[in-house]
Amino acid sequence: MDVSVIGSSQAKLGASELANREHGFCNLKNNFRVLNDRVSFNRHIRWKKAGLSFTLRALQTEPVEEEKKRSGSGTRSKTVDGVRLFVGLPLDAVSYDCNSINHARAIAAGLKALKLLGVEGVELPIWWGIVEKDAIGKYNWSGYLDIAEMVQKVGLKLHVTLCFHGSKKPNVPLPKWVSQIGEFQPSIYFTDKSGQHYKECLSMAVDNLPVLDGKTPVQVYQSFCESFKSSFSPFMGSTITSISMGLGPEGKLCYPSHHRLPSDGKTQGAGEFQCYDKNMLSILKQHAEASGNPLWGLGGPHDAPTYDQFPYSNGFFTDGGSWESTYGDFFLSWYSNQLITHGNNLLSLASATFGDSGVTIHGKIPLMHSWYGTRSHPSELTAGFYNTASRDGYEPVAEMFARNSCKMILPGMDLSDANQPKENHSSPELLLAQIMAACKKHGVRVSGQNSSESGVPGGFEQIKKNLSGENVLDLFTYHRMGASFFSPEHFPSFTEFVRSLKQPELHSDDLPTEEEEGAESAVMSHESSVTMQAA
Amino acid sequence: MSTTVASETLFPLRPRGFPFPRHKTIPFRPFFLTCSSNLNYASFVSHQPRETLSPALAASLADTPILHSLQFPQTITNTFQINRTESVSTFSPYIYICIARCITVEGKIFVRLDLGKNLRDRKLTVSCNIPGKWILHWGVTYVNDVGREWDQPPCDMIPPGSVPIKEYAMETPLKKSEGDTLQEVRIDLKANNGISAINFVLKDEETGTWYKNNGRDFKVSFVNSVKAGLDTNIIGPKRGFDLWPGNLGQISEMFLKSRADKDVTSESRVSKQEKNQPEGFYEEVSITKKVLVNNSISVSTKKCFESGGVKDLIHFETDLPGEVVLHWGVCRDDSRKWEVPPPPHPPGTVLFKDRALRTQLRPRDGGKGSSAIITLEEEFSGFIFVLKQNENTWFKYMGNDFYIPLSSPNVLLDVGNIEDHSAGVQGEVIKEASKETSFFAFADTIANDIRNLITENPSEKCQKTKSKKPQQSIFQEIERLAAEAYNIFRSSIPTFSETTTAEPEATIVEPETAMAEPQATTILEPETAMAEPQATTILEPETIVRETWTTTIVVPEASVELEKLSLGPKICSGTGTGYEILCQGFNWDSHKSGRWYMELKEVASQLASLGFTVVWLPPPTESVSPEGYMPKDLYNLSSRYGNIDELKDLVKRFHEVGIKVLGDAVLNHRCAHYQNRNGVWNIFGGHLNWDDSAVVADDPHFQGKGNKSSGDNFHAAPNIDHSQEFVREDLKEWLCWLSTGCQRLVCVGYILSVQEMSEKINTWERGLLCALFKMKEVGYDGWRLDFVRGFWGGYVKEYIDASEPYFAVGEFWDSLSYASGETDHNQDAHRQRIVDWIGATNGTAGAFDVTTKGILHYAIEKCEYWRLSDEMGKPPGVVGWWPSRSVTFIENHDTGSTQGHWRFPCGEEMQGYAYILTHPGTPSVFYDHIFSHYKSEIETLISIRKRNKIHCRSTVQISKAEKDVYAAIIDEKVAMKIGPGDFEPPSGSQNWLLAIEGKHYKIWEAS
Repeated sequence: MDVSVIGSSQAKLGASELANREHGFCNLKNNFRVLNDRVSFNRHIRWKKAGLSFTLRALQTEPVEEEKKRSGSGTRSKTVDGVRLFVGLPLDAVSYDCNSINHARAIAAGLKALKLLGVEGVELPIWWGIVEKDAIGKYNWSGYLDIAEMVQKVGLKLHVTLCFHGSKKPNVPLPKWVSQIGEFQPSIYFTDKSGQHYKECLSMAVDNLPVLDGKTPVQVYQSFCESFKSSFSPFMGSTITSISMGLGPEGKLCYPSHHRLPSDGKTQGAGEFQCYDKNMLSILKQHAEASGNPLWGLGGPHDAPTYDQFPYSNGFFTDGGSWESTYGDFFLSWYSNQLITHGNNLLSLASATFGDSGVTIHGKIPLMHSWYGTRSHPSELTAGFYNTASRDGYEPVAEMFARNSCKMILPGMDLSDANQPKENHSSPELLLAQIMAACKKHGVRVSGQNSSESGVPGGFEQIKKNLSGENVLDLFTYHRMGASFFSPEHFPSFTEFVRSLKQPELHSDDLPTEEEEGAESAVMSHESSVTMQAA
Repeated sequence: MSTTVASETLFPLRPRGFPFPRHKTIPFRPFFLTCSSNLNYASFVSHQPRETLSPALAASLADTPILHSLQFPQTITNTFQINRTESVSTFSPYIYICIARCITVEGKIFVRLDLGKNLRDRKLTVSCNIPGKWILHWGVTYVNDVGREWDQPPCDMIPPGSVPIKEYAMETPLKKSEGDTLQEVRIDLKANNGISAINFVLKDEETGTWYKNNGRDFKVSFVNSVKAGLDTNIIGPKRGFDLWPGNLGQISEMFLKSRADKDVTSESRVSKQEKNQPEGFYEEVSITKKVLVNNSISVSTKKCFESGGVKDLIHFETDLPGEVVLHWGVCRDDSRKWEVPPPPHPPGTVLFKDRALRTQLRPRDGGKGSSAIITLEEEFSGFIFVLKQNENTWFKYMGNDFYIPLSSPNVLLDVGNIEDHSAGVQGEVIKEASKETSFFAFADTIANDIRNLITENPSEKCQKTKSKKPQQSIFQEIERLAAEAYNIFRSSIPTFSETTTAEPEATIVEPETAMAEPQATTILEPETAMAEPQATTILEPETIVRETWTTTIVVPEASVELEKLSLGPKICSGTGTGYEILCQGFNWDSHKSGRWYMELKEVASQLASLGFTVVWLPPPTESVSPEGYMPKDLYNLSSRYGNIDELKDLVKRFHEVGIKVLGDAVLNHRCAHYQNRNGVWNIFGGHLNWDDSAVVADDPHFQGKGNKSSGDNFHAAPNIDHSQEFVREDLKEWLCWLSTGCQRLVCVGYILSVQEMSEKINTWERGLLCALFKMKEVGYDGWRLDFVRGFWGGYVKEYIDASEPYFAVGEFWDSLSYASGETDHNQDAHRQRIVDWIGATNGTAGAFDVTTKGILHYAIEKCEYWRLSDEMGKPPGVVGWWPSRSVTFIENHDTGSTQGHWRFPCGEEMQGYAYILTHPGTPSVFYDHIFSHYKSEIETLISIRKRNKIHCRSTVQISKAEKDVYAAIIDEKVAMKIGPGDFEPPSGSQNWLLAIEGKHYKIWEAS
């Protein structure tokens, strides 16, 4: 079997094609030679090796991956060549109003460009508010199916993000029927101390309450996932390789503690605890009573600051403040456990639903890097991560991900400490390192994302730095396709970035290291059997 | 979704912008070439340059015959066409110069009369030694027939292969004989058939040109006719025969009608060498035939890296025959001062007076044409040249030198910031390119490679490509795709903003633009605040005039009310009431019966019951062509469709049944009555007896003395110069007369009396006089304006203001944009031109939505229904930008009928009607379709439109625009889909009931 000519990022495609089209294989090789050569800018590439390792990666399943790690580490240092690159499709790829593809031609052109660049796949946000817009259980996947087909035709992979939240930009609210329920029953939303509702996401307190036409949100999410699975069954495991489960506000596992933007647009306040909806309060009350301190269950911390207030402006987050008290520990433990329980609910649902579909499940957590340099870490605490100078709040989160065999999506890979406002005591780099260490400890793979659509200065450098370290990253999703992505100011640097991701690998390939041959052939024989199995 | 990579293989001609082809082209400078040879006349035809000209298109333009004049003897014409394509890249302009030259071929017509064996029998031989397809057009004069000079010959005289022409002539092709060059025809004359003379002219079938004897027919008379004393005009009666001038009448009429592609004029001199033979006869007539020869010169420049430096490579190629010498130099700045570049010079170069170089172009392989390559250091800003062919012919640019700007540092600066972004990528690429000057030879293969990559359809070709070349082109492809995506994303208004009112900021007219387009902004109608469209001008990405809605209607009931209020009583000539449905009441053959007005009258009530509100009648005036589009005397309303009384009767009938009537006003051109001193037909008769100052100056065939045309020329007839005030006044008067009739009578009467005093009153005028004295008005309600591309829309505004029509629509028909044989998805430029024209009329006239028709063609033919949504999610035609002024149609007398210039996909007409009859704009239904098997379907569609009160400003919400299906919801009341794909309207608040279903279309109504 001639696998020698398969090129880098397309190897996966070739291999999976093999399953369906044996005959296509040898034909493909010529194309891939061209493609790989283009991407790498390297004449002396040794196809054999690159092709094999990539084929493997593409088809990896958990046990194989473990083996690969072992065998691979001996022969070559692990470099960023292992990172598969995805690009996010526009948030409004499917229009809210008519369920058709927005700027389809632009997306088609963009997909081709990405394919030619050697990008592995694209990320597609699928909105609950669009698909199940009009009535419970009435799904319209047509626009998204069209996109999946486009993506499949171009030969890219698809990472689907299931968005169970609403958004202002683009304007995609929660499903109409959910909003209607919310009008009469605002307690299904998160609520802050002043009683304001956050209407872009259901409160995690109602997860298992039959508030949606007699069904619990978890049941509704499950039906949604099942409908998705059956509707996209032709793509599952082939084009669609991974799915992100929406876990909360903006899809992330957190409380909407920072949904009010800072007034000066820069310095973030401490954020605000979001435990004031009726159901959340009643859970808190039960919990307080069970723990023997019924008075602690009457509300949230009285001395916590509001959204954009300076964290030390009230007593809760100051050094030696309430957060360090027994009450503080009681509340923060409960508050963060609620979040983890919620995450567990949804991720186990996703694992159960998609476990046999050949896709990996992802969940996203926020990178609450403001105030990381303080002892109390106010931003993380209000968001639901009980992570302080004296307590690792991410270990239980990582453990929860590991329990559900899910991968973690971490945004903010483009942020560097140097570019953060000093007064915020912010440190995205340290926080990332902490979370990734927790993940590594629990064997959770991490997918990276950049923080924002508009480029952060030095963002690509920072991403490269994050990707090249000895870490648990194996996938990076770059956000997000759109006008600025393809603008002359941005796109060339993106292509440069993509090229540079491939470059180091080629340097090592250039070296005529004869002694590697033996190891390689061993790998090859092993891997071709894997390929055969997969086929 | 389209899965193929749209990578045209046109790299040599369309160097792709790298890395971002911003379409910032260097403004086109019109080039005119004069040919300062011994030719006595030169004319110029300037074609609109196309920025992205595919080679195929360039070639077809080059082949386009340019000269049409047939009323233009003894003139040699040279026409040059320059198409210049440019794009911003490292490869700079590509100039393609088309030279159309007249070459004179001299030859002779031989006429010989031989005696047969029987002395009474004769044999007439006519031959010609110029190659071509010659036809003898001939007739006979009978001895006893006094009145007629032309008659059909008796059967036994007619050679095989002859074709009778009406009752008076015969056409017999000349056949080759006696070697290669000579063609001849032989006619046997029997003594006893009573023929006194044979008349003939020679016709060149390829060009349709007639060859005569000093402008007259040839005539061969026979002795016996002289004896009979019937013909006293024969010169040299003793010899019994001669050539003599005959009657011009019939021939000149044909002469007028024939539309020759090439201009061939004849110049013949009779050299009479009469021979004193009693019975035999031999005559030679010299003729010259002017043959139009198309040649081209192409000049391309590109940057190259050679021996370490950047060089400009200039490539000349021409198919001009003979020796062509390039007389050239360079210049350093804009002063265009000739300078001789330092050597090395191309082989065959000599220095000319220390000021210029002369390079002889080298014959190309294969012997046809010649070429040269010149390499220059990069330091020069421009390249100057003239071309010299043979000894006396120079090719220049408007009497000046040609100037080709070479990419100066300034120009590079323009694109510099683009290149910077991908410096790493590009640096490598350029170096690669420089090593291989024939880089583009790879382009085709590469394009295939890319395509194969995407479609995973490998071909064997890709094995041959060298590794580095594809890299570059794939990067180019990536950049191109990215640029495409960028442009679309950038121009898209995100749909999520819909809940708020449609972002007024986005459509606010910038002050400068408003100044530049005053008409566009004054279209605002009083009701604008509620539901009226507003014309605005948007600068980005290009200046467009379009209609946007200031408010989105949220509550359907309320909006209907408001629309009724605002649209009901309001009549605008561009829109009528807004609820019009137009019927084109004729086809290309309607003139044939001679009584079309009467026939149409029979179906008037039927048209009314079908739901039509406006009918468009054919041109009513006297016309050189029976269809009416070559008008002669505008006040003569006798046409092949009927006379003025029948017309008025018909109009009256339509008014009775509640249908408004549009007159087809041909204002662009008018056929002349008389020739000027040069024999050119440009003097008008009839009531509007204009002279040649009413004819535009820039069509040389008609020697107009007016101003230059304000639009495109229609070459078959003199184009009217609308910039002349007297012309406009006359036309306004005419339009008023057509619509209301009597108010101008006094004036007309006066002028007619003046006419009377002048030399003649022809029957037409008599008829007109009678008609006028009856003092009845024609009573048109509005206009369909023919060929409005030919003159400025501002004049149309004047005419409409003067004639105050109920409805007006202009025919602004030009070509859609095609890229490599396929229509572009984006036809914005095309609809922009139409919208611009409507804007120029100040919105007083609508325009036929040619764009929509074109896109429907492609959507249906290629099953690419995604084309029916533009980048903004609106209809892609004029109807998407200015629906109230868009008259949508799928077929008319030109595109369909028996002409079929641009026929709608056959059998799919109902898909077209399902589209236009449900969408905004004013739909126009073609007569042929109404009275066909589609009738009941069309009737149902019209009734759906009426029932749901869809009007010209209805809102369209496109639900699907995919490969095989297009679906939309109009005014939230009607849902429709066309195409083979599936669609069901979303069941939300509305309940949809299927109203009609036909081949590949479905329409629902909300209940």
